Amino acid sequence: MMKKLRFYMTPLLIIAFLIGSMPVAAAPHGQAETGLVSTQAALNADSSSAERERISEILARADVQEQLLAQGVSLDEVEARVAALSDAEVHQMAEQLEQLPAGAGGVIGALFAVFIILLVTDILGLTDVYPFTR
Amino acid sequence: MPSCLFYARFAGVLLLMSLLLGCAASPRLNDSTLNNLPQEQLLKEVPFYAQRDYQCGPASLAMVLNAAGVNVEMENLILQVFIPGRKGSVQSEMLATVRRHGMIPFPVEGSLDALLTQLASGQPVVVLQNLALPAWPMWHYAVVIGYDLPTRALTLHSGEISNHEMSLSRFDATWARSERWGFTVLPPGSLPKGIRPFRAIEAISAFESVQGVQAALPSWKALVQAHPDSAMGHFALGNAHYALGEVKKSQQALERAVSLDESLGVAWLNLGLLEQQLDNEMEARQALGRAAALTGPWQAKAQEELNTLSHVN
Repeated sequence: MMKKLRFYMTPLLIIAFLIGSMPVAAAPHGQAETGLVSTQAALNADSSSAERERISEILARADVQEQLLAQGVSLDEVEARVAALSDAEVHQMAEQLEQLPAGAGGVIGALFAVFIILLVTDILGLTDVYPFTR
Repeated sequence: MPSCLFYARFAGVLLLMSLLLGCAASPRLNDSTLNNLPQEQLLKEVPFYAQRDYQCGPASLAMVLNAAGVNVEMENLILQVFIPGRKGSVQSEMLATVRRHGMIPFPVEGSLDALLTQLASGQPVVVLQNLALPAWPMWHYAVVIGYDLPTRALTLHSGEISNHEMSLSRFDATWARSERWGFTVLPPGSLPKGIRPFRAIEAISAFESVQGVQAALPSWKALVQAHPDSAMGHFALGNAHYALGEVKKSQQALERAVSLDESLGVAWLNLGLLEQQLDNEMEARQALGRAAALTGPWQAKAQEELNTLSHVN
């Protein structure tokens, strides 16, 4: 099961990182008439803080915490790893979580993807989360 | 998406559903919910209006708006939110109608704990349920007005039934199919208990774009009081003060925002633009320089402003 998941995840991750590393071509045009950038425009341009909050909300759910515990994963650990994700990764994860809102099972699956993302990036030398990859 | 059905001919289906769901385990609640909230709550002051036909959306809105002190009739709300072709009301229309009546709709966090917390604090919650199965949806809006922890039950004003008791497990099964969508209604200047900062910021900002800055200002103030560490909150407050011509207060709030989060480029940018307008050239240059050094959506704009400043002098 894990092997299969890895088999599919790796090419997907490479594509995801390629897309993530492309420069942002179009800067948002959200100027208020007053000259200052409006709050709404600022919110529209940067959703990552809101997405991080959404992920925290999901992690706060009792059913999700129960599942994490059953998998032998501590909540603190997951929170620390989510904090280590880039904005692009947070966006991807929030989208995944939003598509699987009903049961804790789907949420755990998406959270598990974070572990795999970080494992791969550790091996590539981009992050430094799992000591055993060194 | 939702169109609400509450017909007698579905009673048989509902009965079957009840039998299927009756054996579902009671959903888990956080320990803090069980320990800190009162054992039961019933908001008796929330009026009940029986829906007619498919109009559970307008009926639910009338109940919470009246409970919040807005004097509006269900008849008027039907015209505002009901879409005859769809035999129902869409979620965004529900929220927009609340804003039109001068109140702020705050979407609740999608968990039973958050729902119970709102009820314990005295707020009824409009919820969207799918009473049937995902493949054959039967969308329905109702108002949750109370709970009972010992019996694990909720009380709802729903459809044609007032004070309808429903087990937590059955409710959660029907609520989960709407991605646990729901909202509370509060006047400007009040925030739902325990709301996280970005959830509140998004709700207030959406209200501000409909009702204007003056109406939203009390909410921005309440937000930074509840979340003094929220850089985005101070940024929004600063923008509101600026739009009302309160330049000094705007400057203070924006300075607070960047001191709380030095990587908030958009706050540096606005601070720089403000200083520029105040002819504080050095401060403007400094703030715009900080904004231009941060990668992100506002970097190019900040650099542009910085160049203009250099050209003038």
